[in-house]
Amino acid sequence: MTPETAGVVIGTGEAVIFWILGPVALAGALGMVLSRNAVHSALWLVLTMLSLGVFYVVQEAPFLGAVQVIVYTGAIMILFLFVLMLVGRDSSDSVVETLRGQRVAALALGAGFAALVGAGIARATQDLPVLGLEQVQGGVGGPSSGNVEAVAGLLYTRYLLAFEVTGALLIVAAVGALLLTHVEREPGSRQTQKELSRARFLTDRPQTLPGPGVHARATSVAAPALLPDGRLAEDSFATGIEPEQVEQMPRPTGREQLGSPDAALGSLDPTLSDTPGGRTGGEHR
Amino acid sequence: MIDAPDFSFAALSPLLLVLGAACIGVLVEAFAPRDVRHPVQVGLALTGTVGAFVATLLLAGTREVTAGGALAVDGPTLFLQATIAGLGALSILLFAERSLDPARSAFVVSAAVPAGSPRDRELVTTQRVQTEVYPLALFAIGGMLLFVAANDLLVMFVALEVLSLPLYLISGMARRRRLLSQEAAVKYFLLGAFASAFFLYGLALVYGATGSVRLRDIREAVTAESGGVLMVLGLGLLVVGLLFKASVAPFHSWTPDVYQGAPTPVTAFMAACTKVAAFGAILRLLYVAFGAAEWTWRPLIYAAAIISMIVGAVLGLTQTDLKRMLAYSSVAHAGFLLTGVIGFGAGGDGSGLAATMFYLVTYGLTTLGAFAVLTLVRDGDGEAGHLSQWAGLGARSPLTAAVMSLFLLALAGIPLTAGFTGKFAVFRAAIEQGAWPLAVVALLASAVAAFFYLRVIVLMYFSDPVADGPTVGVPGLPTTIVLAVTATATLALGILPGAVLDLAGRAAIFVG
Amino acid sequence: MNLSYYLVLAAILFTIGAVGVLVRRNAIVVFMCIELMLNAVNLTLITFARSTGTVDGQIIALFVMVVAAAEVVVGLAIIMSIYRTRRSASVDDANLLKY
Repeated sequence: MTPETAGVVIGTGEAVIFWILGPVALAGALGMVLSRNAVHSALWLVLTMLSLGVFYVVQEAPFLGAVQVIVYTGAIMILFLFVLMLVGRDSSDSVVETLRGQRVAALALGAGFAALVGAGIARATQDLPVLGLEQVQGGVGGPSSGNVEAVAGLLYTRYLLAFEVTGALLIVAAVGALLLTHVEREPGSRQTQKELSRARFLTDRPQTLPGPGVHARATSVAAPALLPDGRLAEDSFATGIEPEQVEQMPRPTGREQLGSPDAALGSLDPTLSDTPGGRTGGEHR
Repeated sequence: MIDAPDFSFAALSPLLLVLGAACIGVLVEAFAPRDVRHPVQVGLALTGTVGAFVATLLLAGTREVTAGGALAVDGPTLFLQATIAGLGALSILLFAERSLDPARSAFVVSAAVPAGSPRDRELVTTQRVQTEVYPLALFAIGGMLLFVAANDLLVMFVALEVLSLPLYLISGMARRRRLLSQEAAVKYFLLGAFASAFFLYGLALVYGATGSVRLRDIREAVTAESGGVLMVLGLGLLVVGLLFKASVAPFHSWTPDVYQGAPTPVTAFMAACTKVAAFGAILRLLYVAFGAAEWTWRPLIYAAAIISMIVGAVLGLTQTDLKRMLAYSSVAHAGFLLTGVIGFGAGGDGSGLAATMFYLVTYGLTTLGAFAVLTLVRDGDGEAGHLSQWAGLGARSPLTAAVMSLFLLALAGIPLTAGFTGKFAVFRAAIEQGAWPLAVVALLASAVAAFFYLRVIVLMYFSDPVADGPTVGVPGLPTTIVLAVTATATLALGILPGAVLDLAGRAAIFVG
Repeated sequence: MNLSYYLVLAAILFTIGAVGVLVRRNAIVVFMCIELMLNAVNLTLITFARSTGTVDGQIIALFVMVVAAAEVVVGLAIIMSIYRTRRSASVDDANLLKY
């Protein structure tokens, strides 16, 4: 193609791709904003990003298409998911509006913005000439070098300053992330195994503390252990947790009531549940 | 074959000094023993910023475009770079103050320890400090130096991020009231990222209209009127992104919260330096790239100036916290600065550029000083920010009250202070270009704003001291230097502004 | 079909992202909405690169990706640090700073 006849005709294939992936990208964006669960939002966004990656390849930017998939979906969104999992997966949003009318106002603003910018762009670009990039980067099997070379050529000349300053940005990001997450330990603040064990044998209780739940009939860590005579074992209170009344398994009171040794281990039979300290059996099924 | 573009290292030297010092600072964190880190970091940061200041002075008179056309080193660049480097050095001194707080610093011991945890309570009394704030502040200053020199929208965007990211981080690192501080960081970050997305969309549309992001190419396209709707839309979005950074209403919503929550030295740094950098970029973008299409941006700036002045002045009246009050004052001052931007003149012959640059110097020095005084007045829980606690301060500590009064009078624009000269210059520039309605609004807003500054002065001198009032700390050497420099400059620029005004006037020519 | 289809799609995606920032309450989801806005910008840039016949748009898009990566690191670190003390990532719970 010569420079005079500037203009690339957009083929049917591209139109087909656009009309398939365009709605997909749109659905991804809407799904992200509308879904309550943050993880679903992230997955919807990945869908949009992948569709855009295909658009980049179609639009003569194969390098960026790859970067989009590798960096955006592969690194950035994984980081998002990682943090979401760290924060707790069911960090779903409340739908309560704190500022009354905010949602309507935001939608109105958005509609106004879309109308203004969208219509403006549509009008300004409806007969935009498509020069295409074959002159600068060569098509498939074209005369000039490829996309990556064309990008590199400009990146290391005209945009060299921006490229180098990006280094500062990456240092800031690395320092910032470490700053906010890396807890520096005082030298010697962490005891070794040997020191810990020596310290334990200097007390009058070298053995381990009774675990919560020993002799107890509940699985909660908040339930204190019971001594054989039924008193609470004071040592077994978990530190950091308020001891609280926990629903316990039915307490066996006597052989004639329980019938068999199996039942003494705790029964699921609802008829035995009206014993003192027991629970109504139906809900324990 | 790729040929490297020409880099004029002399012209880049302020930037290289600051960013180089920042990189060395990061290495110091890794290798220096803990006891010597604080003095080394402070020394390094001061070397970098003062070095950059001296470098800009040595470069005075340079006019060149370098780094493959991405960087313009000209009068306004050097003037604003000198301002940023100077104010940055003073801010670093405020950061380094260790004798006011019983815990020896305004910064957290370890930002990674969750606030309120047992470990956090244990660390509150140690004298250690998270010295990473110094390299981060240097990176921010480096970004600002680049921001005012950027001759291409992409470099402008990268510089915007380089200056913003460290600020997001250090505004969350207060030693006391950590939750408030972290909250300020989250708000600043989310809104900042939102605004930079708008800036980028504007960049993309301008690129679509012209095929280039060079300011020179954009100017040629604007002059040839080949941009059309895309260009106007792009310009609007770019300006929105920049007005956010400059905390101009209606894009100011982050300002009071972040100013209040961030450690006070950081607030002082943001109020002084970020404002200079953001206005430097606004001036360059509007004058160099879009100077020929003044009709497109003039109504936008006009409206933003009026809204900003009114919002700042009126909401400032209702504040009871001094830091919030100064934040709204910063919004109002952003409006006054835009009044100067309007004074561009049809052919670029107006005095708006010089007036705005002069105003930036005076505002930066005054607001830095005001925040420095704020760090002196303390109660058991850190700084005493509530207005009622300042009652009767004149009787308790006459010197502190007098210095604060000077800064407040300057912010109000009372004659014989720097604030008056600056306001006079920007209003004159606006009136010369026929924007007298704007000047009238500005005068009214100044009068309203003067009321809340004077209220503090009245409170300090004419009301009875509260019983268990705050104590006034004795500043150490760094804060004393800052107060002395800013107070002297505020007076000097009010009484004898001629030299600096001339300098700004002579520097006020952009290179394309 | 012409290129303005891509551009209008990008404008719509950008708007959806912007509205999402305003209506969603979870800080992490708000941040994802900002990422969507940046993606829309990238689509615009790459489309314009093709229409103007310059590679510059692609390079700017590359820079946007790099900057976005750095921003994500810093942003998620800040959100994590507030989460660790609050056990909540909702922007509504960040309400100490009100007057």
